[in-house]
Amino acid sequence: MKKNIFIIFILIISAVLSGCSLKPNVEKLYKEETPLEAEIIIPNNFSDNEKETIQVNLTQEGEKVKDADFVHFEIWKQDGTVKYYMEEANNLGNGTYSISKDFDSEGLYFVKVHAGNKGSIIMPRKQFVVGELSESDLDFLRKGAQSEIEVHEHHH
Amino acid sequence: MSSIKEATNKKNTKASLYQTVWRWHFYAGIIFAPFLIILAITGSIYLFKSQIENVIYQDYYEVNPQGDRITATEQIEEAKRLYPDSVVTKYRPGENDERSSEVSIMTSDNESLTVFIDPYTGKSLGELNNADRIMDRIEEFHGELMAGTLGDRIVELAACWAIVLIVTGLFLWFPRKKKDLSGVLIPRFNKGKKIFRRDLHAVPAFWITAGMLFLIMTGLPWSGFWGNQFQALVTNTGFGYPPSVWIGDAPSSIVQTKDIADVPWAAETLEVPKSEVQGLIPISIDEVVEIANSEGMHPSYTVIFPNDKEGVFTLSAFPPKAQDEATIHIDQYTGAVLADYRYDNYGLIGKIVAWGITLHKGTQFGLINQLISLLICLGIILVAVSGFYLWWKRKPKKDLGAPKAISIKKMKFFLLLMIGLGIVFPLVGLSLIVVLAIDWLIIKRIPRLRKFLNA
Repeated sequence: MKKNIFIIFILIISAVLSGCSLKPNVEKLYKEETPLEAEIIIPNNFSDNEKETIQVNLTQEGEKVKDADFVHFEIWKQDGTVKYYMEEANNLGNGTYSISKDFDSEGLYFVKVHAGNKGSIIMPRKQFVVGELSESDLDFLRKGAQSEIEVHEHHH
Repeated sequence: MSSIKEATNKKNTKASLYQTVWRWHFYAGIIFAPFLIILAITGSIYLFKSQIENVIYQDYYEVNPQGDRITATEQIEEAKRLYPDSVVTKYRPGENDERSSEVSIMTSDNESLTVFIDPYTGKSLGELNNADRIMDRIEEFHGELMAGTLGDRIVELAACWAIVLIVTGLFLWFPRKKKDLSGVLIPRFNKGKKIFRRDLHAVPAFWITAGMLFLIMTGLPWSGFWGNQFQALVTNTGFGYPPSVWIGDAPSSIVQTKDIADVPWAAETLEVPKSEVQGLIPISIDEVVEIANSEGMHPSYTVIFPNDKEGVFTLSAFPPKAQDEATIHIDQYTGAVLADYRYDNYGLIGKIVAWGITLHKGTQFGLINQLISLLICLGIILVAVSGFYLWWKRKPKKDLGAPKAISIKKMKFFLLLMIGLGIVFPLVGLSLIVVLAIDWLIIKRIPRLRKFLNA
């Protein structure tokens, strides 16, 4: 009898000692956010003297966001020579929003999307290349390699 | 005739139960009292952490508000200029206008430094090596005796055994003669030295029992073993802290690796593949600060930087009062708030644990909280020392003077109690198994040892 108690005792202790970890998806038991997700699509080719269209596909909780509270685009060139200030996007429907601009000068560009829907606000930023990179662009990229901190704000 | 026999039997069982309980109290006390004294002393000091650090780090903390603050990016740039090869791990903007900002960095030789920046002038006020911060060392002493995981387990074991000491101690203290409160609630000063010594231990011990039990129970949830198991268990039920606040991973940034802009580390030539350069880049720390402000983060927050491509910016604030706590995870590429956990979002047990922690640290109610906790710590020291003294004065020259061992098989209730404690606190259970093994394998076989231990 006493032996049995002892064995059960050791079993329970080893069960507890072996430990428990968090269940997958345990966060579903607590307050959840509904973050917006954005896929920014840059054209593959840029041609002179023609407007190019940059698109963003917005989704939230796995659904396409057909009527977002706001979607703005902001585009600038690394060397500061091109600057398209924040502008409202065209709603192409089906969760896709776009902006069309001239990209006649070659180099490193940035596009930043400001979007908000149902309490979630996002500001994803993508860098892209039109034509060839200049020496200044390469310097910028190398500097970025050393310091993770973005300094683009100075170009505003 | 038979009733007399029964009465003596009953009296004997009572006496032997007393002996058994005393014996456990005796050994647990001798072994763990030194640790309890260490915990009480380090705890007493750590209680006053904020006051002490405000004095010793005054030159690092205080700044004169003048004009506009410079941006977080510029402050971090300054820290990076001073330590070019380091990695920024955290940024703390400072909870009010007179408080400096802190940039935490990991240097190339793996040292954690905190650089204090005046957010008005942008100049460094100096840096502290985290390994040299005295209060951090005291916390390490308190939590793990400066001995890592082993130390953590010893502290936890001492805390759990302190519960055994409380339970057995209360049994020994419980008044057997009714009506007389001297020797129970007040010490007897005029009944001779022996009695006074006993009362010097038992009476204050009773008075601090509740406080001591409170400190143990509120300290255990952040112990490495029992605490983590407990936290995982309650988080899994939905009643604890949300994941990542105490245990569990933060969510990941929602991104596919192919969408991230590759930094051309070795771009020596002009030929950089366009596809590598093109992609998402992380949001700036200034944007993180803006998000923190718009989300109404408690001003004492710290930003923890993502440590890999899938990581997130985490805003974390554990201010003095539990109800101000907040943890927010931000997608490093989109700035989306992926999780926002405030005190109100904690489960019921999470809220209780959070209060327990701030009360344990003495921050919840400020000075009065610190003073009450200090009083309990001093009480623990007094009780541990007087217990030791009690034994020392009574100890025979040739052996330990332990109460006589009685086979535990006869103590069904006590046995069950110990098994119960051993299951709720597995480290106690484990140590009981070890003690039984030592007893059976060594002590029982060596008569001299047996006599010394009165086993």
